[in-house]
Amino acid sequence: MKAVAALLAPALIAAPLAACQPQRPAAGVIVASRNRVDSLDPAKATRTGQMQVLSALGDPLYAIETDGRITPRLATALPQLSGDGLRARIPLRRDVRFHDGSRFDAAAMVFSLQRFMAIGTLAYQVTGRVAAVRASGPYEIELQLKRPFAPLPRLLSAIFLTPVSPSAYRQDARRPSNRPFVGTGPYRIRFFSDQQQQLTPWTGYWGPKPANSGISLVTLSNSTALFGALRSGEVDVLLSSSLEIDHQQALHRDARAGRLREAVGPAMEIGFLSLLSDQPPLQDQRLRRAVAYSLDRRTISERVSLGLRPPLRELLPPSLPGSLPTAWPDYDPARARALYRQAGYCNGRRLTLPLSFRSDIPSDRIFALTWQAQLKRDLGDCATLEVSGIESTTAYAQLDKGVFPMIQLEWVGDYPDAENYLTPLLECTKARGEHCLEGGSALSGSFWSASGLQDELERSSTIDGPARLELLRRIQERTAAASPYLPIWLVAPVAWSRPAIGTPRFDGSGRVVLSELRGGQR
Amino acid sequence: MSRRSDLLRYVGARLALAPVMLWLIASLVFLLLRVAPGDPIDALLGPRAPEAARTALRHQLGLDLPLLQQYGHFLSDLLHGNLGSSQNSQQPVLEIIRTSLPASLELGAVALLLAAVLGLAVGFSGIARPEGRLDLAGRLFGIGTYALPPFWAAMVVQLIFAVWLGWLPVGGRFPATLLPPGGSGFYLLDSLLAGNVQQLAGSLRHLVLPSATLALLLSGIFTNALRLNLRRALSSDYVEAARSRGLSERRVVLRHALPNALLPVLTITGLTVASLIGGALLIEITYSWPGIAFRLQEAIAQRDYPLVQGIVVVVAALVVTVTVVVDLLVALLDPRIRF
Repeated sequence: MKAVAALLAPALIAAPLAACQPQRPAAGVIVASRNRVDSLDPAKATRTGQMQVLSALGDPLYAIETDGRITPRLATALPQLSGDGLRARIPLRRDVRFHDGSRFDAAAMVFSLQRFMAIGTLAYQVTGRVAAVRASGPYEIELQLKRPFAPLPRLLSAIFLTPVSPSAYRQDARRPSNRPFVGTGPYRIRFFSDQQQQLTPWTGYWGPKPANSGISLVTLSNSTALFGALRSGEVDVLLSSSLEIDHQQALHRDARAGRLREAVGPAMEIGFLSLLSDQPPLQDQRLRRAVAYSLDRRTISERVSLGLRPPLRELLPPSLPGSLPTAWPDYDPARARALYRQAGYCNGRRLTLPLSFRSDIPSDRIFALTWQAQLKRDLGDCATLEVSGIESTTAYAQLDKGVFPMIQLEWVGDYPDAENYLTPLLECTKARGEHCLEGGSALSGSFWSASGLQDELERSSTIDGPARLELLRRIQERTAAASPYLPIWLVAPVAWSRPAIGTPRFDGSGRVVLSELRGGQR
Repeated sequence: MSRRSDLLRYVGARLALAPVMLWLIASLVFLLLRVAPGDPIDALLGPRAPEAARTALRHQLGLDLPLLQQYGHFLSDLLHGNLGSSQNSQQPVLEIIRTSLPASLELGAVALLLAAVLGLAVGFSGIARPEGRLDLAGRLFGIGTYALPPFWAAMVVQLIFAVWLGWLPVGGRFPATLLPPGGSGFYLLDSLLAGNVQQLAGSLRHLVLPSATLALLLSGIFTNALRLNLRRALSSDYVEAARSRGLSERRVVLRHALPNALLPVLTITGLTVASLIGGALLIEITYSWPGIAFRLQEAIAQRDYPLVQGIVVVVAALVVTVTVVVDLLVALLDPRIRF
């Protein structure tokens, strides 16, 4: 027994000793999220977590403010367009330096844009619109556009277009880099791993100095850990829209009681159903309309998300210009029944609608089951849902094969503009009648198109002002009438913080402005 | 002499077969990944990127080559020790393994040590009075901890000690505001070698909950194995003979029964080590422990072919090595073993 005791002693001593250590080291603000950051190379940035970190390490040419205004950041004015709208000149700031001390100028911006166009994962967002980029002066660049493109400043607000230091990236001009990021932002990187990033204020920053002495971003892999970390004071700020609803509600209660601060950002993610519109049964537009009337968004939002995901009846986040909040019809079981009847159902014949959901996304499953129950309750004699789960990556690979009569999906635009929501869902470069053969509509699994729609889509990105807004609304109305998609809800980013940190502020792109979080040496 | 040559022949055969086994495993993983539904391009670009962008990325990643050619490149790179780069992060796969494998090994080693100490202590404790209260409690402990669902147990431990009591961190491997120690990737060892108490304490605090949970889950195996083997040994002829020679019960147990009862435990330990090399997935997920199992699971979800292939090959090589070493150890310790 003595031997056993001798063996056990170190373990018994080590655990309490470890537990007695100070709960956390002192420095900066600790921000937790679920997002893993694989790479800090803007050319490879595609995920929310990467964009959030890059927004603190770099600056875009333009920024979208919380109220939706576009303001110059590294640019000094909005693009000056040539008469034909095919050349855009952008003047740049002269007082900016990269984290390695080198100067930011037109050559650096051209280097960064050309690098992104050559190797960027999302390069198609730029190369589809921009033919060439050149320095038209020491502090001015010129973009040659393939066609007039009204949302150019919004595209240039994308953080993946943040400039990188040519001297630091010279060797990686045509290949992705996994070296520390060297940009112009208020912070520079101190330590990087996929689960943890430490940012320290960049003393040579041209703009307002950060309100904190540094930021540590950590990745926690599950909702309980994230929730627990904020509750126990282990982290200062929690960024997550993927927290379990119970946890979100508990934090919301804490915020109302003054124990936490809560901020809701502009919703950029839309949840929707894609309806296979070129095969039975949903090739019948009456049935698609009937399904649209059958969706009780309000009840489902309440049951599935406790109201945290507001119902959505359009394909755009309402904060974007061109929004039409009531484009799709509201829940109306009587009209739904009438349409099902017209299509030959309800009178002893029930329509079976297969609904696929992504099994690795918990809210999708709850949505599917809730809607199934709601439909059974309200229109059980007319239609029934047959729900089945499928892993996301597998589902995405089969979307353009037309195998899902109805599937639940979500979409977040790469930059906040209507064009980046409507085009990926409705674009159709090759069609036969209303059947789309190639393009975004086929890739999204609806295969729907309409005569003249593609022209309208293209025109909507070339014109500006009220005419553009009117056209965007008309496109949504046409789509709603045919209902190849059914918007479900909006997902807004939420952040919670300890009161001492202050209430987090979201910018117009849906990212928390980390430099405004208060916190220093403790 | 004959036994030694048998043993050498056995080890030689196992080592000679190892490359064949690794080739088979590597080929199977390569093939299964391509047969499985899902496309890495979808995981990288999302389903709605234009076809031109998808084609360009497919070309950039070499996924547009014929399958045989891809396989040839994979094997040739593997032979040259090149596991390629992650499709998602562009980081070399070897570098990813170099950072995540030590995390799993460190967690596994500490958990195994704790599990062995706890499990063997509990298994041994009831031996004085078989079927007594202590023995019954040990039996219940063995069955109970073995049957605990890992995910649930980890969640409960996390909730109690990290969320409610706030004694220990909820997850991660190192304090967010400290710089991790450089070196081997084994944080405990690195911070000890650097003599950095703050880093050591930080690493320890993060290690306590995951390793204790994993140890608790593994300890039942040791408890049951020791308890059963010790009882069998205590009723064997050589123990009776020792008793009849007038040796004290303590000496009989410690010198005669226990060493024989521990031999099967060594085999079980070897198997457990082999399984822990691949990481303890549910523990790593619950505690956000950046280990190899966690990376593998994410790589599979993202269809990151080079990363999945690399991790599987490296883990398989280590498992083969460990099983050979354990076989050798058992053979060296137990003269009854024949090959």
